[in-house]
Amino acid sequence: MIMRPIEKKLVILLLIISLSSLTVTAGDLFWGGYVRNYTGVLTGGDNELSILQNTMNLELSSRRQNVSFHVNPYIYQYSDRDIELGLREAYLDIYFDNFDLRLGRQQIIYGKAEGVFITDVVSPKDMREFLLPDFEEIRMGITAAKINYYLGGNTFELVWTPVFTPTREAEEGSIWRPSLEFPAPVNFDMSEKEVSPKVKNSEIFFRYSSLGSLMDIEVVGGYFWDDDPAMHIIRHIDHDSGELHGLTATPRHHRLYMAGGSFSLPVSSFVLRGEAAYYNGKRFQTADPASENGLVTKNYVHYMAGIDYSVLGWNISAQFIQEYITDYDESIRLDEFESTMTILARKDYLREKLWIELFSYIGLNNGDALLRPSVSYELSDGFEILGGANLFLGNKGRFGQFSNNDMVYTKIRYSF
Amino acid sequence: MKTLTLISIILLAASFSGLQPLNAQTTGHEVMEKVYHNPTGDDMQSELTMTLINARGERRTRELKQFIKTEDDVEKKIMFFLSPADVRNTSFMNFSYTDGSDDDQWIYLPALRRVRRISSDDKSDYFMGSDFTYDDLGERHPNEDEHVLIKEETIDGHDCYVVESTPKDSSYMYSKTVTWVMKDSYLGLKREFYDRNGDLLKVLSIKEFDQIDGFWTILETEMHNVQRNHRTVMSIKDVEYNTGIPDSQFTERMMTRGL
Repeated sequence: MIMRPIEKKLVILLLIISLSSLTVTAGDLFWGGYVRNYTGVLTGGDNELSILQNTMNLELSSRRQNVSFHVNPYIYQYSDRDIELGLREAYLDIYFDNFDLRLGRQQIIYGKAEGVFITDVVSPKDMREFLLPDFEEIRMGITAAKINYYLGGNTFELVWTPVFTPTREAEEGSIWRPSLEFPAPVNFDMSEKEVSPKVKNSEIFFRYSSLGSLMDIEVVGGYFWDDDPAMHIIRHIDHDSGELHGLTATPRHHRLYMAGGSFSLPVSSFVLRGEAAYYNGKRFQTADPASENGLVTKNYVHYMAGIDYSVLGWNISAQFIQEYITDYDESIRLDEFESTMTILARKDYLREKLWIELFSYIGLNNGDALLRPSVSYELSDGFEILGGANLFLGNKGRFGQFSNNDMVYTKIRYSF
Repeated sequence: MKTLTLISIILLAASFSGLQPLNAQTTGHEVMEKVYHNPTGDDMQSELTMTLINARGERRTRELKQFIKTEDDVEKKIMFFLSPADVRNTSFMNFSYTDGSDDDQWIYLPALRRVRRISSDDKSDYFMGSDFTYDDLGERHPNEDEHVLIKEETIDGHDCYVVESTPKDSSYMYSKTVTWVMKDSYLGLKREFYDRNGDLLKVLSIKEFDQIDGFWTILETEMHNVQRNHRTVMSIKDVEYNTGIPDSQFTERMMTRGL
């Protein structure tokens, strides 16, 4: 949620009031957070700064008997953009014997997959810097009412979101803006992009989860809007020559049904993980000239199999992810199967003061990849410096399209 | 809790009354059985502080709140991390089974907003960068080792049995341990850990203990890695036994809600 100037002033005022009140109510109020400098430089070209960001992330919470609140405002200050103030979360919790109620802006996370979003479709994504931010920053808060009912070790959850929040895309001109190719000059019509805040436009999700000795399982479902808009294309053809001379692209969100589940299964020294979701009613771009608005509606399946294990002190996680479009036809611009792997290797030294990590996405269809090596060192408790690189391999595909964006970066973070 | 756990740590807690010193035919196994079966209440909660001290004397502190409950065949433990700030609100839950089954372990990372199952296999990992491995902090059944009563000795004014324990599993991370057990309370007062080459690796020393709610409780202990000259001082406070901690304390709900 990004704020207008008047809202920014209001948030600043609230922050000042909140902080000033700490001195008199610190006994009731928990506060913490972090301050961070994030500086990234492109390794190619003129070594431009890809990001210079200073962050303050504040968390305030308080609990009295069966009621609590949590507020998570943040401030991003950039070298080349306006200061950004926002609320990642702001909710009230009400606790009863066997159920809890959470009302307000909140992040809701589903599934067992790491770094990919399969059943994890409740909180939309902030993709302004692709998949590079920390995941708590990629996932945006949504305004929702969530009720959890507990029966032994089982949790039944129902979520109602009255207001739709779409994916936040990289802005025009950003190096993280995905490349869109059109066969003719295109004019964008944004008039249908908004989903008006009406009850009939609300979203609903449910989740069942259980932590068990044999395995952990989760079953989820939802009726919601696709966070990513489908691009409705109208072709403008010269009647005399029959040539295509322009396009009008109208982004529009569509309803989706989703059902899925996930599990974690400990086997000896391994943890096996799996997750799958079936989506009904997804729009895909097609080259079929007979198609309506350049789109075709198909169902698709998204699934993952993963394993976690340790070897020689390294914690390793590997995942194989595949997306499958059912009833496929060759004119669809995406492949029938799109396969991706992720590998995470992590080890600590010096008693958890020094961490070495490599996280990689590997696109198997296009031979592209994103490699993310990093080293972090904790100078003192809560004060950490991290150096890393983001390396994009290949020249097409989900990761290869950003092959000019290789970067090195540092993050200096003080937690309080 | 019928078992000896160290994070409970400290936890060689024992009902003082009713324990009688063993006779002249005492064996090492009998001593360690006595230690293992020390009653420690049905449940316990406390605040735990770990201070890591390196060879240069630099200190790092970790604080957490723990709840432990023993049922017929399982010991349930949930810990909430209080500091340092970057791990605050992280929680860890462990179910340990008396039949020897692998532990079940979960961790909740607030940044990820979800509970994740983790493997309990590698117990030689060090806990939060301390000198305690997960195995040091958990219970170890006496049947897993061969025990020999090698001598009796008085240290710090306490009469002790000295028991040498050699693991039956040759791949275990220690080649042997030597434990000084107080004759009057069957609290372990000191333990030496030898690495797989047979060299002294670590020394665990009990610094302070007291009787709380009728149970002997170790309040401060130090693990000294003599090879790296690194120490971890672990202390507990606000200890309460048998408060009737409900089963619902050991659930996904509580892991995510926090304290």
